[in-house]
Amino acid sequence: MVRAERKVSRQDLAAAMGVHYQTIGYIERGQYNPSLDLALKIAKFFALPVEALFSLDPFRPLTDEVYGRKQP
Amino acid sequence: MTTTRMTRYDRSMLRLMNDRRGLPLYATTARRRLVVAVHVALTAAIGALITHTYLAVAEPVWPLVVAMVLLLPWMVATGAINGATRGLLELRERALDERQSAERSRVLARAHRVMTLLLAATAAGLLIAGAAAGDAPRAYAAPVLVTALAVHWLMPLWVAGLMARDEPVEDDGLGA
Repeated sequence: MVRAERKVSRQDLAAAMGVHYQTIGYIERGQYNPSLDLALKIAKFFALPVEALFSLDPFRPLTDEVYGRKQP
Repeated sequence: MTTTRMTRYDRSMLRLMNDRRGLPLYATTARRRLVVAVHVALTAAIGALITHTYLAVAEPVWPLVVAMVLLLPWMVATGAINGATRGLLELRERALDERQSAERSRVLARAHRVMTLLLAATAAGLLIAGAAAGDAPRAYAAPVLVTALAVHWLMPLWVAGLMARDEPVEDDGLGA
């Protein structure tokens, strides 16, 4: 997860985005789809394109990405 | 939270509603359901005692005293539900973020649906009672109206308490 990789806590990210820290948790768990505005703000915070953080399809596990395994 | 500037009251309410000292009371779904059930039971008990005082010919004082005593645990349960929802219904709109605003709308819509069904059932009950005994609707009009008002007021809180979800788990050692 990008947030953990960048060593940013939920509280810090939530404060920077102006949202409740639970909202960040729900987004990470896939229990809440953020608005386009919030998604773009999060992408800007991490200096990444929005599609690097959000996708219609689930992201592949990191081990698959690293070791090049194909999804079944 | 919205871009509208929050007042000192908003900030103090936000702190209060996010105070995690009561977390053990509402940490799991089962506990939240229990707290809501206790709150409903206490509300019913307090309402029954006040109604008893209103309807009793002798106007006894003891039901009011008991109702006042029950009010203390009722307030604790109210606080626990508000803590579980992080003040979803208590905070002003400008103190909520986009997810919380959407959540509040969902809670209010569901509470409205439940209240509509309850009021329809109450109206039907009163009509049936009126058909059986002509004076019944008039005799029970005041207590029923007060009960309906109380339930209408508290239904969003109960629905919000039942719809509240578990806290996202600590997963990275970076804090919540």
